[in-house]
Amino acid sequence: MTRSPLLVLLLAALLLAAPALAQDPPPVRGGAITVAISADPPGWDPTLSTSQEIARVTYGNVFEGLVRFDRHGQIVPALATGWQVATDGLAWTFTLREGVRFHDGSPLTVDDVLFKFERALDPDSGHVNQGYYAAVTDVRAPDDRTIVFELSQPSRSLLYNLARPDAIIYPRALADTQRSRPVGTGPFRFARYVEGSEVRLERFDDYWNPELPYLDGATFRIVSDPNARVAALLAGDVDLIGAAVPPEQVRVLQANPAVKVALGTATAEVTVAMNNSRPPFDDLRVRQAITHAIDKQAIVDGAFFGLGTVIGTHMSPSEAYYVDLTDTYPYDPERARELLAEAGYADGLRFDFELPEPYAIERRTGEIIAQQLREVGIQVNLSVVEWGTWIQRIFLAADYDMTIIGHSEPRDIDIYARPDYYYRYDNPRVAELLAEAEAAPTAAAETAAYREIARIIAEDAVNVWVFSPANVAAARTGVYGFWVDQPTPAIDLTQVYVVR
Amino acid sequence: MTRYLARRALTALVSVWLASVVVFGAVLAVPGDPAALILGMNAAPEALAAMRTQLGLDVPPPERYVRWLGGVLIGDLGESLQYQRPVARLVWDRLGVSVPLAVGAALLATLLAVPVGIFTALRRGSLWDPLVVLASQLGAAIPSFWLALLLILAFAVQLGWLPSGGFPGWDVSVVGSLRALLLPLLALALGQAAVMVRLTRAAMLDVLAQDFVRTARAKGLSPLKVVGKHALRNALVTLVTVFGLALTNVFIGSIVIEQVFSLPGLGRLALTAIGNRDYPLLQGVILLYASTIVLLSFLVDVSYGWLDPRIRYA
Repeated sequence: MTRSPLLVLLLAALLLAAPALAQDPPPVRGGAITVAISADPPGWDPTLSTSQEIARVTYGNVFEGLVRFDRHGQIVPALATGWQVATDGLAWTFTLREGVRFHDGSPLTVDDVLFKFERALDPDSGHVNQGYYAAVTDVRAPDDRTIVFELSQPSRSLLYNLARPDAIIYPRALADTQRSRPVGTGPFRFARYVEGSEVRLERFDDYWNPELPYLDGATFRIVSDPNARVAALLAGDVDLIGAAVPPEQVRVLQANPAVKVALGTATAEVTVAMNNSRPPFDDLRVRQAITHAIDKQAIVDGAFFGLGTVIGTHMSPSEAYYVDLTDTYPYDPERARELLAEAGYADGLRFDFELPEPYAIERRTGEIIAQQLREVGIQVNLSVVEWGTWIQRIFLAADYDMTIIGHSEPRDIDIYARPDYYYRYDNPRVAELLAEAEAAPTAAAETAAYREIARIIAEDAVNVWVFSPANVAAARTGVYGFWVDQPTPAIDLTQVYVVR
Repeated sequence: MTRYLARRALTALVSVWLASVVVFGAVLAVPGDPAALILGMNAAPEALAAMRTQLGLDVPPPERYVRWLGGVLIGDLGESLQYQRPVARLVWDRLGVSVPLAVGAALLATLLAVPVGIFTALRRGSLWDPLVVLASQLGAAIPSFWLALLLILAFAVQLGWLPSGGFPGWDVSVVGSLRALLLPLLALALGQAAVMVRLTRAAMLDVLAQDFVRTARAKGLSPLKVVGKHALRNALVTLVTVFGLALTNVFIGSIVIEQVFSLPGLGRLALTAIGNRDYPLLQGVILLYASTIVLLSFLVDVSYGWLDPRIRYA
């Protein structure tokens, strides 16, 4: 594998950028910025939809939960100032921050918190991700500053789940209008939304941290075309693109002194998903052969300018329990042909490979993989499917052979414990290990259990995990303090400031 | 005449109704679950079922269609699944972008194309003629979205004169909104003008070759009068047809242009509705598109009689 001069340039730029971050000028109060986002969200209530479009605008800006992720993915206090776990792991006690106000002026009380978790535990409330609170039997408030979660069994993931975008707290009295008019405790108030055009946030002067935010306001402009987003940044109409700048645009942006590019990590795994219940994928040798046939590094270098990390299981390097398993079935077309012959496909093999229309990275990766598979005698019928169809027929009904998608949820290896998930992978051992991880007495034991799951699915070659794309953000030169990594999908503007 | 108008109006209504049936059927035939698109990839099956009930998707399609049609007749287009707002209001908001864009582009195209078309017809055989024909051929061949990108690169990125996209809204800034529409207008109008130059030139050449023009010249009328009073008047029927077609073309063409310039117009609303399987919204938008196109062709037909009294309606 020869490294392209461009890749070397990019790496050099990355190294140069690192010390530059330490030399950021001191924060300045005031000003407003325009941020590009890609689509309208389905409403604004993150407790009613897992859509990332909602989280990108509201997480950390409009809404906050008891705890939250910081820019590095660490869990830090938000509406709770601290927490304690009982020695048996069956009770978690949170202390509520004092003096917090919602954007409508009303104070945050334990009632609002209790109401939130009543909804999260009520299957009829429409609250998403109820599985995150499966171990919680009761939530109560012994006094007006304390919240206690009682559990049926220890739950190591509880704190992590309480930092997720749907774990936010809004005023009990305004629960029904959050969908159209979000009201939270965050540093920015929701000011105006014009569908298909823009969302405006304004500084919340009564924010509990008097130092923040720095900006007076921000406009999120909906620009669906990725190249139009870059053009808008170059023209100065947009100040920040928080994520997913097309890799091929990086060089253009780096050559322009008016803008800067920040390369970070993200939680997505570009995954070639196979229907494990359907021939020929029900044969482990076929799945192994497919994995051996794919040259992942060539894809990252050749199609994405090296902006990503090759992975070997359903885990991105940004995860706390990441383990490198890329050597499980390395690129080896010769071995792939042998395995195919053993499985009875010496004369070749043919199946459908469907690419999701909205996702350029996945489509491009899929096209290269089709070519690589052809070299070991596998012919795929490539087709592009529209997103609604992908969700309905492939994701929900599992009526497909092979597809490719970026799984961007953090900490989502639990999907391999679900036989009804669209991989149709059924291995009870994964569910057992998940339970072990949840009840683990130590962090080390938890990590060990997760790594074991990662290893089992890698050896079973359930899917081909190709790479974890780098998060590419870009901004006008004077913009500082934005997130470079994406530990959770968010464009958090709390600490963003502009030096003109 | 009255009978003709009544018959044309009835045909128009039936066309619009047929369009609504076709759209309803087409949307049903495409797989995709609005509930799943609203709740996101990681939603639980129970939440999906609840959302389907809430959206009224458990009602059989024929019944849904009849309910919807009943609503349309009393002016109620239903509520958008994604935005949870009345479709009529969403569509109305978007017209503030799409109507100025389409009418402006059609007018601009006409103002550019008709003088150039007449000029080249009169200068037939000169150096100008092949030059304009070549330019118009090129203009007609360039896709509008590509022209749009070139315009953005030149006027927004390089020169910084105009915004690269977005729309501030008429209530926020009239000047800003006009500036935001300028490049999209150009991108739409230039391609359309290229087509119209050729049609105008052909229509004028046709008329100029006729006997009455020769007579007019022979009796010593000034060239301006020959062209303005005799030739142009007779070419108008063709030109109105062309203008009507242009309006329809830019109305449809604006779907792509709104996407490139991130304008909150009707076309982008239609694309969002398709992507999210927002049935009521999609039906409302298509109904409006169909009605507009049918109405335009109706108006063009009716205008013939007014422009040329020789045309009689049987």
